[in-house]
Amino acid sequence: MNIRLARMDDLPGMQATNLQNLPENYLMKFWIYHAATWPQISFVAEDHKGRIVGYVLAKIDDESADKGEVHGHVNSISVLRSYRRLGLAKKLMLLSQEAMVDVYKASFVSLHVRKSNKAAIGLYRDSLGFEVVSVEQKYYGDGEDALNMRLTMKR
Amino acid sequence: MAPSSKRALPSKEATLFRELLTLYETRQLKKGVKTADQILKKFPEHGGEDPSRSAMARDLPTTHFRNPVYERPVPSAIRQARRRHWLVKKGMRFDLTSHICWHVFGLIQKDEKNYEEALKSYTQALRFDKENINILRDSAQLQTQLRIYDGLVETRHTLLRLRPSLRQHWIALAVAHHLNGNLSSAKKILEHYEYSLKNIPDYDVEHSETLLYHVRILEDLGEYAEGLSLLDINSKSRAIVDRTAIMEFRARLLSKLRDTDASNAWRALIDHNSDCYEYYRGYLASKDVDLDNPSDESRAQALAILQEFASQLPKAATPRRMALSFATGEQFSDLIQQYLRSGLTKGVPSLFADIKGLYTEPQKYKAIQEAAEAILQENTPPEGQCSHGEPTTYLWTLCFLAQHYSYVPRATPSQPLPSPDFERALALLSTAIAHTPTLPELYTLRARVLKRAGDPLGAAAAMNEARLLDGQDRFLNTKCAKYHLRAGMIDEAIQFFGMFTKKDAANPGADLEEMQSTLYLIEAGDAEYRLGKLHLALKRYVAVDKIFHEMEDDQYDFHGYSLRKFNLNIYLNLLAWEDRLRSHPAYVTAALQASRIFVKVHDDPSLITAASSSVRLSDAEKKARKKAKKAASKAHDDKKPATASTADDTVENTPAKDDDPDGVKLLGAADGLDRAAKLLQPLESLAASNIDAWLVIYDVAVRRKKYLQAIKALKHAQSLDSEHAELHTRLVDFKKRASAFPQVPPAPIGPLVTTSLATLLPEEVSLETYNSLYLQRHSGCAPAVLAAARVLHSLGSAIDEVDATLFTTLADDAQLDIVTASKILDFLKAIKSSRVEEYRLTCVSRFPLSTVFMTQSELSQKQKQTAEGTTALVEAEKLEVVP
Ligand SMILES: CC(C)(COP(=O)(O)OP(=O)(O)OC[C@H]1O[C@@H](n2cnc3c(N)ncnc32)[C@H](O)[C@@H]1OP(=O)(O)O)[C@@H](O)C(=O)NCCC(=O)NCCS
Repeated sequence: MNIRLARMDDLPGMQATNLQNLPENYLMKFWIYHAATWPQISFVAEDHKGRIVGYVLAKIDDESADKGEVHGHVNSISVLRSYRRLGLAKKLMLLSQEAMVDVYKASFVSLHVRKSNKAAIGLYRDSLGFEVVSVEQKYYGDGEDALNMRLTMKR
Repeated sequence: MAPSSKRALPSKEATLFRELLTLYETRQLKKGVKTADQILKKFPEHGGEDPSRSAMARDLPTTHFRNPVYERPVPSAIRQARRRHWLVKKGMRFDLTSHICWHVFGLIQKDEKNYEEALKSYTQALRFDKENINILRDSAQLQTQLRIYDGLVETRHTLLRLRPSLRQHWIALAVAHHLNGNLSSAKKILEHYEYSLKNIPDYDVEHSETLLYHVRILEDLGEYAEGLSLLDINSKSRAIVDRTAIMEFRARLLSKLRDTDASNAWRALIDHNSDCYEYYRGYLASKDVDLDNPSDESRAQALAILQEFASQLPKAATPRRMALSFATGEQFSDLIQQYLRSGLTKGVPSLFADIKGLYTEPQKYKAIQEAAEAILQENTPPEGQCSHGEPTTYLWTLCFLAQHYSYVPRATPSQPLPSPDFERALALLSTAIAHTPTLPELYTLRARVLKRAGDPLGAAAAMNEARLLDGQDRFLNTKCAKYHLRAGMIDEAIQFFGMFTKKDAANPGADLEEMQSTLYLIEAGDAEYRLGKLHLALKRYVAVDKIFHEMEDDQYDFHGYSLRKFNLNIYLNLLAWEDRLRSHPAYVTAALQASRIFVKVHDDPSLITAASSSVRLSDAEKKARKKAKKAASKAHDDKKPATASTADDTVENTPAKDDDPDGVKLLGAADGLDRAAKLLQPLESLAASNIDAWLVIYDVAVRRKKYLQAIKALKHAQSLDSEHAELHTRLVDFKKRASAFPQVPPAPIGPLVTTSLATLLPEEVSLETYNSLYLQRHSGCAPAVLAAARVLHSLGSAIDEVDATLFTTLADDAQLDIVTASKILDFLKAIKSSRVEEYRLTCVSRFPLSTVFMTQSELSQKQKQTAEGTTALVEAEKLEVVP
């Protein structure tokens, strides 16, 4: 599988992958907004025909930049089921994290994950070293709690 | 100076008004309304404010995104549109010479996505206030949206002249030149801009992006050395902060300069991301390996390089996989064996999809099969025992081979591959399922094999079994729903989709449509189409078109936003992508299918009445069902608490009512063919190599009596594949139509039609002969035989002659697939042949696994069984959830 920076023409494929994999979905404008604002930190995996099979969509939060608190946030990540457990998600995350530090000097990376999502929690905590900072009650539309996770970045 | 309007505002209020426009632009709506009130208090009759106040009084967040689950368009906005228009018109009466009125009018037209008219209003506004920065800026955005690039350059120039101190105005002019195709002017502006820059903060991402844009322009201009030195200087000084971008530009520029350092640059990228194909390709090219047409020598060289990488980068999958594409013969056999062994031991479900691209020649096909069979042998547990080799290796090898044997070769390559053996694949999967009944992948594979074998019902049932093994997984859920659509079980499919769509949506389909799921819309449209519900199919396809309109509108805000952010490279990519947007397969399919429907109802208007009566019938059915359900549930749970919905909720959250929910009006639209032409128009440039597109373009053009367009379409189709079956029927159709013209169309069209016709098909031969010659050339190809039979029928041949022609497709040496066979069967039914049953029964025995050739009652029976199975499983699932 080919892994590379996300381009504009990947967005429909990323959006379609998201709709097949996760219940949290976003309009195309949201995807465009992220790619146009932080073009260096979202990545895709594609098959041999150039079809998107996995992606990570990320953003930068610099609202408290004055306090040196620029940080990255992972909005969405997923891999089509038939391409899971190949290490794709991990590779996508690592590239994104590295770019967040490199381009934006992010001091940490944050994300939300469903309390029940074992695969994703395994990825973040066991493979990548994220830690749970807090639990956000009823964060998701269906009432499930979210774990708020964080990874401090070394510069 | 701008002419002073008799109703111009005094300076304090004029300032307030400018503020108001900024507030409006930045969507600070509450503040905006307050400002408007302030002006209004003093000048209750002024032409400007009232309309803009009303334009303010709505909320459509554009650049602010929260948890998008809650992001919905606000319906009240639509309701207010009419009122706003009315208010603006009123304002205009007061003050037609006010730039403010025109500006506001333009703003509103823009918000209604009427970009052409909006630009006209802005142009009017500028007549009265030539140097108004806000109006100029808005005009520039509209000109970009409308791709009026020469006008854009002019507007950006004016803006720069008026405010040269704004950094953004320099950049905007450079981008305008770039878009207008004038790269060297863009470069000059950038040079000037960079030269005059002072006090750039350290580590400035915006400046970094601007410099990268400059490098890109130099690259596009072919000034590679200049680009490289700009890049090197600014990366050393850390003015460019994006390391990956630096490395990529460097590698590309060095390659283009044929610099010996290029391979090192690619090598550095490979170390950074060792699963990116482009980097390996760059590296190989820098070592003079011709990737497209490798000689034996470069094959060997490429292999050596890739194997070296493979040993240095044990975690990277790419070099190993790439090596397979270069290897041949013995070496291929060796490498594929290692590759399969490692994948099957690890249990990689996508292994087959990964190597499918290698199925280009029989030797490789055979080598893959032998390798996998050998691995299976090694790992098969002896009868009655279970520990021998790795149980999972055994399982994944069974899966792999099932996919191998059910592989349907693409087209007909020069060296044909074996045809699929579905029985064998299913047997392998049954063994696997008996071994491990809980692995969803085994059932999804079973589903896929059944689908290929022509049993969409069995496939849907298998997919549901997979889904039940992991109900939390939306991927399996989507697949299951999709397979039910393929099987024509739309209600069941919607029920599945609904397990993951928002509960407050009107229905699952509406939610998926709102979330812009083209996958759902295309599959649902196709399902309705197959069931003959053309109105509903059309409705879905047209919804796809609407999504593409939305995506085109989406770019609007970025014409301002991206320049403010200095994210220029990605912005230019955004525009380029938008220009090619409608080449997306979902759009192409939707446009073609919708047009086919418009053509169908044009040829047979009775389809419209049939659709509207079917809707009335199903409406009545629905009502009856609802009533029964209500009665039942009333008896059942009286104690259930009523979900409180406030009055506000119902008013605000019901979307504007669709006055044509079933698409019947759309189906009967008087201008159906014009609509089709409009849908097809983008395909002429964006799907120019798609023969189906040209065929449908012909169908529409010829019915709209646009004969020159029709000829152009036929010529394009002919240049793509002159012997295409569907083209054959069109050529004959056109000749027939032309000879039946009541009078020759006036010059220049008439004579042009006549001369072009002579180049499309021979003049001297009769259509009958023309057709029989075609049939002779393609007697072994079922689609061509069907085409020839259609022509025979249209030329008035006797039914038994048509029948006899079609029955040649059943000969042992003829190639016949399920899709063509069922088309032939449909055609036999349509011409009321007496041999329908004979053809059907032969197909039943020819395609034993397929349900496509069942009689209607057999099919209904089977569908009912599948549905009952589904419901039973779903009910059982519910029981499991409730403790
Ligand atoms: C979560 C998800 C993105 C992981 O993708 P992936 O490409 O399969 O993950 P990787 O192969 O890179 O796995 C990396 C590590 O994550 C962990 N992991 C991944 N899937 C796991 C699973 N099913 N169970 C436990 N751990 C798992 C493991 O630690 C794994 O390392 P290992 O394979 O060496 O043991 C994928 O399962 C997915 O798309 N799920 C649906 C969408 C989703 O839930 N997204 C996350 C939303 S917050």
